[in-house]
Amino acid sequence: MLNRSGLPRRAMLRRAAAGFGLLGLRGLLANSMTPKTPHFEPKVKRVIFLFMHGGPSSIDTFAPKPRLERDHGKPVPFKRELTFGEGAVRGLMKPLWEFKRYGQSGTQVSALFPNVGECADDLCFLHSMVGDGVDHGAALLQLHTGVFQFKRPSMGSWVLYGLGTENQNLPGFITIKPSLGHGGANNWASSFLPGEYQGTAIGNSGMKVEEIEPEPVPYLISRGLAGDHQRFELDMLQKMNRQHAEANDQDPELDARISALELAFRMQIKAPEAFDVSKESEATRKLYGLDNEVTRDFGWQCLLARRLSERGVRFVQCSHSYKWDQHSELLKLHTKNAAEVDKPIAGLLKDLKARGLFKDTLVIWGGEFGRTPWAQGADGRDHNPYGYTMWMAGAGVKAGFHYGATDEFGYHAVENRMHIHDLHATLLHLMGIDHLKLTHRYAGRDFRLTDIAGSVHKEIMA
Amino acid sequence: MRRLVLLIALPLAASEHFEKKVRPLFAEKCLGCHSGKTQMGGLNLATGAGADAARILAAVEYQGKVKMPPTGKLPDAGIAAVKAWIEEGGKWPGAAARTESAGDGRGHWAFQPLKAAASGASIDRFIQAKLKSKPARTDKLTLLRRVTYNLTGLPPTLEEITSFQADNSPQAFSKVVDRLLASPRYGERWGRHWLDVARLADSTGMDEDNLYPHAWRYRDFVVRSFNEDVPFDRFIHQQIAGDLLPYKNKEERARNLTATGFLALGPRPLAQQDRFQAVYDIVDEQIDTVSKVFLGMTLSCARCHDHKFDPLLTTDYYAMASIFASTTQFRNYGRPGSISYMHYEPLDADAWARYEQHRRRTYAKQFEMEEALAEDLGRDSAPLRQSIAARLEAAWKAIHKNEGQPDQWVKWLRANCDKAFLKPFNEATETNIAAVAAEYEKTYNSSASKWDQSLENWRSRFAKEVLEDRALPERPKPNAEAHPFFAAATFNGGPMEVAETPRVRLLRLEWEHLKKTQPEEPEMVSAVVDGPSVDQHVFVRGNIYNPGEAVPKRFPLVLAGARQKPIETGSGRLELARWLTSPDNPLTSRVLVNRVWQWHFGEALVRTPSNWGATGEKPSHPELLEYLAKRFMDSGWSMKELHRLILLSETYQMSARAPKEIRDSDPGNRLFSRFPRVRMSIEQIRDSLLALDGSLEHTMGGTLLVNSAGKRQKVDADEIRRRTLYLPVRRGSIPPLLSTFDFGDATTPGESRGRTNVAPQALFMLNSKFVIERSRGVARRLLDQSALSDAQRVEQAYLMTLTRPPTPAETDSALSYIAALEKRLATDGHLAAWQSFCHVLLSSNEFVYLN
Repeated sequence: MLNRSGLPRRAMLRRAAAGFGLLGLRGLLANSMTPKTPHFEPKVKRVIFLFMHGGPSSIDTFAPKPRLERDHGKPVPFKRELTFGEGAVRGLMKPLWEFKRYGQSGTQVSALFPNVGECADDLCFLHSMVGDGVDHGAALLQLHTGVFQFKRPSMGSWVLYGLGTENQNLPGFITIKPSLGHGGANNWASSFLPGEYQGTAIGNSGMKVEEIEPEPVPYLISRGLAGDHQRFELDMLQKMNRQHAEANDQDPELDARISALELAFRMQIKAPEAFDVSKESEATRKLYGLDNEVTRDFGWQCLLARRLSERGVRFVQCSHSYKWDQHSELLKLHTKNAAEVDKPIAGLLKDLKARGLFKDTLVIWGGEFGRTPWAQGADGRDHNPYGYTMWMAGAGVKAGFHYGATDEFGYHAVENRMHIHDLHATLLHLMGIDHLKLTHRYAGRDFRLTDIAGSVHKEIMA
Repeated sequence: MRRLVLLIALPLAASEHFEKKVRPLFAEKCLGCHSGKTQMGGLNLATGAGADAARILAAVEYQGKVKMPPTGKLPDAGIAAVKAWIEEGGKWPGAAARTESAGDGRGHWAFQPLKAAASGASIDRFIQAKLKSKPARTDKLTLLRRVTYNLTGLPPTLEEITSFQADNSPQAFSKVVDRLLASPRYGERWGRHWLDVARLADSTGMDEDNLYPHAWRYRDFVVRSFNEDVPFDRFIHQQIAGDLLPYKNKEERARNLTATGFLALGPRPLAQQDRFQAVYDIVDEQIDTVSKVFLGMTLSCARCHDHKFDPLLTTDYYAMASIFASTTQFRNYGRPGSISYMHYEPLDADAWARYEQHRRRTYAKQFEMEEALAEDLGRDSAPLRQSIAARLEAAWKAIHKNEGQPDQWVKWLRANCDKAFLKPFNEATETNIAAVAAEYEKTYNSSASKWDQSLENWRSRFAKEVLEDRALPERPKPNAEAHPFFAAATFNGGPMEVAETPRVRLLRLEWEHLKKTQPEEPEMVSAVVDGPSVDQHVFVRGNIYNPGEAVPKRFPLVLAGARQKPIETGSGRLELARWLTSPDNPLTSRVLVNRVWQWHFGEALVRTPSNWGATGEKPSHPELLEYLAKRFMDSGWSMKELHRLILLSETYQMSARAPKEIRDSDPGNRLFSRFPRVRMSIEQIRDSLLALDGSLEHTMGGTLLVNSAGKRQKVDADEIRRRTLYLPVRRGSIPPLLSTFDFGDATTPGESRGRTNVAPQALFMLNSKFVIERSRGVARRLLDQSALSDAQRVEQAYLMTLTRPPTPAETDSALSYIAALEKRLATDGHLAAWQSFCHVLLSSNEFVYLN
């Protein structure tokens, strides 16, 4: 694909990324991160993705299966697909928690999520999710990048590439406490998209909140001069840089670096405020569960997500990582996991609503797959990418709505199957992007988030 | 033959319908009985042999006597698809059909044979022919800075600056070039270029990101090869087929094996449970890397369909896949639910044989001992297990009634009387002791039989895993929490402990001796070797469960022609390596010199260095490309000769500045009307900061993953003083410093580093401890020279960091800045002000951009 300047798109982007390039006067005023016009009117301006790493069981949370109650303990009556652990396959296992109906929609939610249950009328359930990865690494990579055989840009990077970001003083794609395993940074990397679209990690799953808070973004705090003195130093540096640019044909790349230094200086002043949750009211901190040791970590993540979204960060991910992989001790550990996230998630939903952010922010909840209807060993469930539940809430999607279904055992998605490619296509559509048109030329062909697949499921849209 | 003719006539749409809808259906439902060795009813639905359209339709519609598949009717959509195919003629397409069209793209410029250049040809002639005027030369110091950073990645020292300035001979510059090419720093800089291309990293990336503990050996091999100027064709042979090359001694063999890390150290799916898929994904990664790196071709696009833009066929792809699929990828596949193991080769095969023999003897002895132990235990503990109730009862009487002699049970029960599991015993009365004791015996025997079972399971697992060369399960340990009475009574001097028999004791001593004398694991390396040769089929639409026609091993038809010598034995990698560097191969040398040009100038002649196909760019200077490629081959593939040819040209020595009208007439600098101004790489930035404050350690090679005692250690880039290329790189978590500065993903062949200017880079330069410490180091070096005046210090700072003296105005400005800052900072102002001045120089555009 050639554009008017005759440069191939990649070279063009490389220059654009350098700041001004050949974009002419407009390029001098804008850079590649300023908000861009979408393909059509967007319903969603920004996304918060609550990622439950490990694979929460759909059967035990949001998709009850009466048949399993009836056939509890019976041998598996259907053909099993490729699974992760072939050993210790036992009989069918009923949900280990009671389900209760909530709200106008009468949505059934298990005792694991009483607080989220209260918000059921705001949720749009996708009960027919399908992925191709049977192991965590593959499943995470596909969920985040669309494929697992190759290294590709993360969905957050694609969104940023397509839309830019609304706040030039903060990174546009932020992932809070991500896991370093199962694909690690590949899950938030920009791959062949220019480096500025990569996600900025705020700590990692192994770190405590207290360790992250002092310097959430690398090198945000000066180890040299600070405050006015640093400005004094920067003025000297920029004077030198301007003289150098003048002596060197006013090379746009040199100008771009002068701007980047200013941006960095501004970011270091503005960003700490965005990450500082101490200013939040007692009521808000309570709403997210920051007052309780159990919910504090994920509550902090959710509250931070709201603060960042509020400030225009395009894509924020929170990770509850890596917790949900219950090949055994399902009862004990799913109970513990849900207790850590239930209140913070409900707090986030209520807070977004109260602040009017629900109308243009989309929350997505889910793991990399669900879990099997049969027991693995005495008290576990194996991975199930063949049919599982995720949900969305907020802008652009129907509220109190249930879409798709798995079979009566909760194993295969059978109704309105929604492959991860479809999820991506639908997400981009909600943000005003045609997933077929958001392409990047690399190694001789145009690449998309949705690879060569993906269809938009308009049925879930409000 | 008749079939082939038919096929060419077949419209594409019909064959597409077949490939999309019908073949996958056959693959899923029918091939179990109708392919390979079991071609029931003489029908092979993998190849179409014996296929009769009408009979197939009748069978799938369940209309005749034969109803297929026998397990249940196909879904309606499936039957409709078969019907539609038969209505279109029911023909059997094969990938061979379109082989005939391979000639279509033959005319593409990149596939033409290399032409000899006319006499009198030179780089400058080709470049200047397209320019309106001869470009200006750059000044001497800029040139010194340019070439020193280019060849070594480090700034010229004060001495080097002085001596070059003083040398007015015509050979002054060529002497500098020779000095730099002879420096070991050259291999560290230029080896890094190749490591980008070879997508080297220290871990498997993808799902598990496990460490490659030996990846550093490949890195050291590359650095050494560049420093020794190993002829590049040999360098290529080593990397593709080092394991198959003849060798004179162990060292050469080790080096050749290490080189194949090029193939072995790519990203690898370890947890993929479909191991067959995992193998072909690795094969694909290797095809992608080899074709892009050496041929500038995106051959892996032809995995699922013929290449959309280039005349590369799926048969070309699978002919190459056959080569890599016949190459070892995994050591073994691991158990279901666990990961596969990567293949490592010993650097010294004899040492490995000794080690492995000893290891297996040790395992065999251990197993023998365990078997004997089990037998003894079974015999000796059986009577004991029947007597527990009686012994307890007697002991109770001894303790409470003073009856009989206190035996070892009494002693043990007294010593453990505070243990919870003895509560029932301690509280027993004369009337219920018999029942209590019986209950203990029951509990014990239930625990004991579980323990026996777990030991037996372990022994059989152990034997199996030894046999299959996997990680060994650990001997189970008694679970004192779940079985407190059993664990306490049976081990560590408990009354149920069975004495070791002499034969077990002997076996144990032998085993311990073997363990003690086990030689250390010999040095290993990530390498490939030939595995069993596969009979490769095309996988239709890339689906490994949908085999189409068989393909022999060969190279792409459009490049190697139809008359290729058949590869009959082995994987074919050696043949591949030789073909890559044969004088008839039109691409390898061109692709390579284009990369070298890019590494010298920052921009290539073909600006899509890994894609020379129809969608790639055309060369800006085609004759120059021919000339360089030919000269390179004629010089015996000498990289250093190629460097001299390029560096000593006027083109390399031109100025980076140009008048506006020249810039306007060549806006993208495609004609090389001026020297491209390029931001330094992160290696150049980090290494020169270390060099400037005098803290750079010049130790070469080895690994930072383990310390000198061989223990895994954490690597903190801020604390390491080695050159950046020695920092370990995990694909799953590329050090943020590297990724921020466009290091690339270390997963796909790096064709060129990005050159972004983003805020996170600026934050590093402005705020990081690393840069601040280096600034202080440089300031200290200046201040420590007491003989210098402040103006002389400023001059030295400019020379060190920017390779030029300051103008008088710059000196004044620097001195007044330092004075003003010192005044602003109340305490410790002197060092801090000089540190800040050095920080300004080190974070300046002039420092990070090379002219």
